[in-house]
Amino acid sequence: MNDMRIAERDVSTSETKITARDVNVHYGASHALKGVDVDILNGHVTAFIGPSGCGKSTFLRCLNRMNDTIAAAKVTGRIELDGENIYDPKVDPVQLRAKVGMVFQKPNPFPKSIYDNVSYGPKIHGLTRSKAELDEVVETALRKAALWNEVKDRLHAPGTGLSGGQQQRLCIARAVATSPEVLLMDEPCSALDPIATAQVEELIDELRSQFAVVIVTHSMQQAARVSQKTAFFHLGNLVEYGETGQIFQNPRDPRTESYISGKIG
Amino acid sequence: MTDISAHPSGKRKTSSLLQLDARTKRRNAAERRFQIYGLVCIGIAMVALVMLLVSIFSGGASAFRQTFATFEMTLPAETLDPDGNRNPEEMAKVTTIGYQNVLRQGLVTAVRGANIVPEGMTDADITGMLSPEAAADLRNRVLNNPELLGQQVEIDALAHGRIDGYFKGRVTMQSAERDANVTPQRLQLAQAMADNGLMALRFNWGFVTKPDASDQRPEAAGLGVALLGSLYMMLVVLVLSVPIGVAASIYLEEFAPKNRWTDVIEVNISNLAAVPSIVFGILGLAIFINFFHLPQSASIVGGLVLTLMTIPTIIISTRAALRAVPPSIRDAALGVGASRMQAVFHHVLPLAMPGILTGTIIGLAQALGETAPLLLIGMVAFVRDYPDGPPAGLFDPASALPVQVYNWTQRADPAFVERSSGAIIVLLAFLLVMNAVAIILRRKFERRW
Amino acid sequence: MSVFWITLIAIAIACVAYGVGRQKALSSSRGDPRKLHSLPSYYGWYCFISSIVPALAILVIWLFVQPMITTQRVDSVLQLPVEASVGEKLAAKRDVQSVAVALDRGLAQGVIAESDLPALAENPSSLPATLAEADISLPVVVTPQLFNAAQTFRDLSSTLNTGLTVAVILFAVIGAFFGIRRCAPDFRARNLVERVTMTLLIAASVIAILTTIAIVLSLVFQTATFFEQYSWRDFFFSATWSPVFQGNSQLGILPLLWGTLYISLIALLVAVPIGLFSAIYLSEYASKSMRAVAKPLIEILAGIPTIVYGLFALITVGPMLRDWIAQPMGLGSSGSSVMTAGLVMGIMIIPFVSSLSDDIINAVPQSLRDGSLGLGATPSETIRQVVLPAALPGIVGAILLAASRAIGETMIVVLGAGAAARMGLNPFEAMTTITVKIVSQLTGDTDFNSPETLVAFALGLTLFVITLGLNILALYIVRKYREQYE
Repeated sequence: MNDMRIAERDVSTSETKITARDVNVHYGASHALKGVDVDILNGHVTAFIGPSGCGKSTFLRCLNRMNDTIAAAKVTGRIELDGENIYDPKVDPVQLRAKVGMVFQKPNPFPKSIYDNVSYGPKIHGLTRSKAELDEVVETALRKAALWNEVKDRLHAPGTGLSGGQQQRLCIARAVATSPEVLLMDEPCSALDPIATAQVEELIDELRSQFAVVIVTHSMQQAARVSQKTAFFHLGNLVEYGETGQIFQNPRDPRTESYISGKIG
Repeated sequence: MTDISAHPSGKRKTSSLLQLDARTKRRNAAERRFQIYGLVCIGIAMVALVMLLVSIFSGGASAFRQTFATFEMTLPAETLDPDGNRNPEEMAKVTTIGYQNVLRQGLVTAVRGANIVPEGMTDADITGMLSPEAAADLRNRVLNNPELLGQQVEIDALAHGRIDGYFKGRVTMQSAERDANVTPQRLQLAQAMADNGLMALRFNWGFVTKPDASDQRPEAAGLGVALLGSLYMMLVVLVLSVPIGVAASIYLEEFAPKNRWTDVIEVNISNLAAVPSIVFGILGLAIFINFFHLPQSASIVGGLVLTLMTIPTIIISTRAALRAVPPSIRDAALGVGASRMQAVFHHVLPLAMPGILTGTIIGLAQALGETAPLLLIGMVAFVRDYPDGPPAGLFDPASALPVQVYNWTQRADPAFVERSSGAIIVLLAFLLVMNAVAIILRRKFERRW
Repeated sequence: MSVFWITLIAIAIACVAYGVGRQKALSSSRGDPRKLHSLPSYYGWYCFISSIVPALAILVIWLFVQPMITTQRVDSVLQLPVEASVGEKLAAKRDVQSVAVALDRGLAQGVIAESDLPALAENPSSLPATLAEADISLPVVVTPQLFNAAQTFRDLSSTLNTGLTVAVILFAVIGAFFGIRRCAPDFRARNLVERVTMTLLIAASVIAILTTIAIVLSLVFQTATFFEQYSWRDFFFSATWSPVFQGNSQLGILPLLWGTLYISLIALLVAVPIGLFSAIYLSEYASKSMRAVAKPLIEILAGIPTIVYGLFALITVGPMLRDWIAQPMGLGSSGSSVMTAGLVMGIMIIPFVSSLSDDIINAVPQSLRDGSLGLGATPSETIRQVVLPAALPGIVGAILLAASRAIGETMIVVLGAGAAARMGLNPFEAMTTITVKIVSQLTGDTDFNSPETLVAFALGLTLFVITLGLNILALYIVRKYREQYE
């Protein structure tokens, strides 16, 4: 039953959210990403997999221009969000990042209270007009991150006091509270234990009903569990992109097959 | 997870990325303001630095130039050596007053020779053209070389401080009228002499080499004793603080067990580095002078006090240098059978040497500029005699470069302001050289592991 | 013979011992160093140590014992009344020593001859006048008893000095023989040398502790003497500072404390925003090349000695503030003022605040910045709302350290703040600080045992306690802060 419901929603929302064409990234002299073309769909979880250093995280950071913060990085090509080039000089990365939220590898709650962590985004973007409204946004975000029941009695305790898995869900709640349209996740479970990982994975599956979710992972099993689309990166090239099932069961490129069967890593 | 259908209340209107909404514009303006604050603050710091340097250099550069009266005259043998036997001991009976008169005669002759008429000027007026030091200089010159008597010699006499001030723009005709030490007539004569090449501003080595002079003769005051005193103190600091500081660092970094006792030493060292320098002065006064009865104003006491102040600096930088040597070096030495002591002294210490050297130079530079503690151990005293050579000279009274600056700021005559700024230029020059050496050393031996 | 030469002789003997010991070890192994337990030079060093250590030990002990013996003898000559207080005894001892030192210098410079001494013993009151001819000041009334005591002191000192020379040489030679005798192939010279080296290393690190103890002792003892003569209540709670040479001074610390805190406050108001904003700009915004230029330039400010800042205050900032602000606004006519000293001191502390803040801001993990930027915060929002709150404890620590530096600063206030002890609010008036008064009370020509001089030690102790408290607190906060992000 459950599977049916999600499948229906997939059909209804599967328009293209992000289009990337011929994206190249240079870090100084090294060519980190070579001519990547990807379409990212609404209502889908798209997984980027590949050996470390293959460019998957670099590409993810292109999608909300986090690479801007690294002085040596130079991005060329075209990335469109709803048909608008996000590297257009008129685009303010601040506005872009409000639409394209990000969750990082290591849980990085601010050294503030849980409430302040979640309300940080809505406050800086001016999304709410009153304290009551803000409270509601915080609660909704924490509920979406499946954290509300665990922290509702200690919203004003420091966020750094939570366990690792809770911290990561807090970071997801923080990203969700800004109501982004796309949610980028950079190996969100790599610092977590198996139980916390399972909770976060379940959460990711829930979240795709409202956002286009892009997740970078080094774990193929995770990609297989949570994603509908998978892109395989190798040495800065996008080797193969397709339905998750197809990639894992019937890879077209020999490199993909070698990676999936564990011959390269 | 039924609550997932609840919609966030503060949903943003979906808008184009290509148009900045009002809020983003406002936030970007705040961003720019914030950056400007930062730039302004850096700017203020820079302006302060430039003002400081300009104020010191514009005020002090003139201290290196001094007005001299240059003329030829015959030294009258009969007045300067009444006995006529050229015996310096007997000639010493002629006091500086006698030489002053001789100089006045010579000056009048020279002025007349240049067709300048010193109109309405008394003897005192003419004498007041030259520094009282000029007569003392001439006396020393003659006593050292009695054969000069009766000969035509070239006199290079320091002009009086006010005359010098006139050429440096400090004294004007107007100010001279209200001044007991100079008259407008003297300034006119000085101008006329300068026009005829009898008087000129030129570079004055005496500022760096001569000892301090009394309040009445700023034109003769020099830094000689202060430089020597500072040099002696730096020697003491170097000889004591480097071995002690390095030894302490080696112990704390390489051998000390991690326990409460070493913790106390560490906290203590970081605190010592932050104790106000004047407290070290009190320490010097109470311990070295009152308890151990070392002489006041001596470079040894100053050196000891500065040593105690420098040791924490050297320890902190030496420990950083030792820590930067990777453990693999120690392991390698121990692996070929060296004792721990040998591993440290043969391998780690040489590799840490550049860092230690840099830290030492920086510590010495700090010590060189330190003033407050030296005031308390009596180095403000007026010292005209050069200290002897070390080691005995370490116990002689001396001054120090920064203290000499302070000393001159306390004098009444405004001419000393120029000299204190000049002394600072000398001090800053030394600091510049020391820091440059430290930077070059660091660049040259910088090693990445 | 002076201690310096005695030490030099001891070192020379030890050097000979080094050579002999090394040679003996080599010859005992018939020129084959492989048969030795340690390298030949270790045998040499062993002999060096066994010669120099006893010699220097006896030297140090002697130097401590000698004053005790002389004091005892001098006391018996002086015949002070039994009921004399410790202060009186100390003063008498100091007088004896100054007479003895003055006599020595007088003899050395030839103003008095050895043959004059018996005559002087009869009528020593003319001694100060005689010595004054050679610029030797002796501000003591010399009684025959005092003169005799001084003579006893000199005789005894010279006898003991000869004894010292003999003892040191004897110990050095005996030690050398003892060391050389033990040099045999199976003797573990290296281990012993290393143990001595280790002792030296430990001794060096203890010097830091000894310095602190010496500071505390010198402050506490003299402060105690001061409070014997002056009520501590008046010192801590009186609002009047007016030292009088004839006695009956009022020595309340409050106006000095007020001046100190007022000037430090202004200095911090200048330095903290400028230093903090500069650090923020340089670490978060500035390009690499700008950082490479601006950072060293700001650090130059830290390398400039405080006397330079003092002169800057005296000849530039003071007159400028007076002519452009204070006088036109009718606020005062003094070049030295709280504002002058505060401003200049603020400039001095800028690099201190900025480099400490720079370290602390850089210690905030990049992941926090990424988290904030990833939510769409601007860099300045990230700094103000994430980086600064995270760095706050460290920055507070840095400010406390800066405050301690400002409170203990001397030369800038000596030249820039003035000497008038007053508790006012007008920052363009001259006020004075604890450090200024320490300098003025200890560099004057007053009697060392008068409360007017001793008060400087009480001031110094107060200053030491305040700055030590601030430092310990600051170091504790900074340490805790660093542990948080390690």
